Amino acid sequence: MASPLVLLPGDEVPSRHLPSNKSNPLKLGPGLRLLSQPSSTSQNAQSQHVLTATQAGIVTTDAKRNTVSLLSFPNRRYIPTVNDLIIAQIHHSSVDYFHCMVTPHTAHALLGQLSFEGASKKTRPMLRQGDLVYARVLSIGLGAGAEVELTCVNPATGKSEPGGLGPLNGGMVFDVSTGMAARLLRASSSSSEQNESIDGLVVLSELGKKLESLGGFEIAVGRNGKVWIDCSNAGESAVKATIAIGRCLQTVDEKGLGPADQKKFVTRILREMKLVS
Amino acid sequence: MSEEAKLSHTLVVSDLSAKQRMWGPRSTKNRESFFHDAAGPYASPSSLRTTSKTDTRSPSRQSNSGQRKPTTWLSFPLEFSFSTTMVGPTASLSNLSRADGSASFKCPTTGYKILGSVNAPVELPGRRDALKPEEATVEVFIKPGNTTAGVGERYAEGIIRTMLQKLILGRERGFPRRGVVITLAIVGGGAIARGDSYLTLLPSLLHTSLLALLSGAVPMSMTYSAALMAVSKSNVIVSNPTLVEAKAASSLHVLAFSSKGHLLLNESQGRFDFDTWKTVQQRAHALCRGVELPEVDGDIAMEAQGDSGTAEGFVRETVEDHLCRDYAWKINTE
Repeated sequence: MASPLVLLPGDEVPSRHLPSNKSNPLKLGPGLRLLSQPSSTSQNAQSQHVLTATQAGIVTTDAKRNTVSLLSFPNRRYIPTVNDLIIAQIHHSSVDYFHCMVTPHTAHALLGQLSFEGASKKTRPMLRQGDLVYARVLSIGLGAGAEVELTCVNPATGKSEPGGLGPLNGGMVFDVSTGMAARLLRASSSSSEQNESIDGLVVLSELGKKLESLGGFEIAVGRNGKVWIDCSNAGESAVKATIAIGRCLQTVDEKGLGPADQKKFVTRILREMKLVS
Repeated sequence: MSEEAKLSHTLVVSDLSAKQRMWGPRSTKNRESFFHDAAGPYASPSSLRTTSKTDTRSPSRQSNSGQRKPTTWLSFPLEFSFSTTMVGPTASLSNLSRADGSASFKCPTTGYKILGSVNAPVELPGRRDALKPEEATVEVFIKPGNTTAGVGERYAEGIIRTMLQKLILGRERGFPRRGVVITLAIVGGGAIARGDSYLTLLPSLLHTSLLALLSGAVPMSMTYSAALMAVSKSNVIVSNPTLVEAKAASSLHVLAFSSKGHLLLNESQGRFDFDTWKTVQQRAHALCRGVELPEVDGDIAMEAQGDSGTAEGFVRETVEDHLCRDYAWKINTE
């Protein structure tokens, strides 16, 4: 990808950029839409449809999965999509639901009182205002003004799948851009054996290596641009370690540091905060 | 004719033709008034007349240092105004960390600096019933740097809102019944006093809101570009006029063109006839989208401009630069 193809709203995706995989239908990612061309000059039925961009972004294609999508600005607002993992904050609770905040200035998302692993009417988690949950988007509803529903359990199995869903106790939340959150999620979902940097991110593996002596840390990444970090094993320096990790992630996000710079920055921050000699 | 005199002669002529190319076709009849407009206080018509006389009728006298002086002196203000028109606007994206999208834009000729932010989609408080049920509501707020918003700002807000409502895809997922809130703060440049024309500010506001919308990844059907044009009292069209030129003009025009060539916005004020407006529209179209204008004698009036010289090319370059910087990790690894 030497010179990326950048599209602005209204631009057409050139057909030579589309993956030429005929076995399964082409899937469109966010930021693209299919329009039918009104011109009658083209006889070919294939070329009567054009793909146009609705946002500014870099065109990326995946030949294996036959997808084409647009990478837009990383600091955009998060719009809930089914099956996204997010970190929500409880605003208030009603009889059946917890009302959660996902992004600022949007309507509350609903999280069922019983949609936790092993929850029954008697053993349900008592969450208070301000508590955090790691949840999955169950549905976004149909039509205008529909409510977003969250869940911390897989309704089919009754387990919290993928692991780790549920209330987040202790720790601290840091805000990152939605693009960075997506990157972190991709990096953590791929196999951790390979030492190669995934999506140019080495900051987490570097932090993990350096903080191993302190007992490591726990991290949860929400697609809505939130990162929860807990270092409760670190004893006295738990707070310092949490802040250090948060600062590392936020700076990598803001300054767009490359892999080498990320390593340098991690070392600098940890030394500044006297966590690693 | 001495060699030196010929040189200085061609220098003046090339300056003139470059100037004319910038400002389009013009008959020799109103060249004088044109200079008066373009060079402003630096060149008076009388001094011009004397130089043109020496240029055309007795070029040998130019070797005389006393006669040559006005030539070199004259070429300065010409070059000066030439360079100011060539300095492009400056813009940056995503300056504000808490807004969903933001942009700042500085117009070199009018001196206005605008900081814009976009939040979308957001819940508009307490007005759910007043919102359109199937579409997003676009709200525009203009904040002057030194006072509270008044009638002039409301007027400009209305113009921008009507235009953007047609471009923003308010039916995309997550947008119906929500608001797209655009806040434009005038952070630099002169203040617009009560009763002054708001048209000088309008292109900067439009460009800022476009860049902010793009940086907030608000779905839109197309982009646009805008231009400010002035027609002076002597019927000379000035593209991208300064505030002084705009104040002296007999009519002011703001035109916006979509990236597909539609005329999206036409705001005019002052006295003008339709032919003037037609020329203004062509000139503005060339300024925004870089379409070449045929000159009277069949020559090409505009230099073969690439994307970079036009307002549309500027928006595209700014966005491309920023995206490539944001995704450097991806571009460099693949």
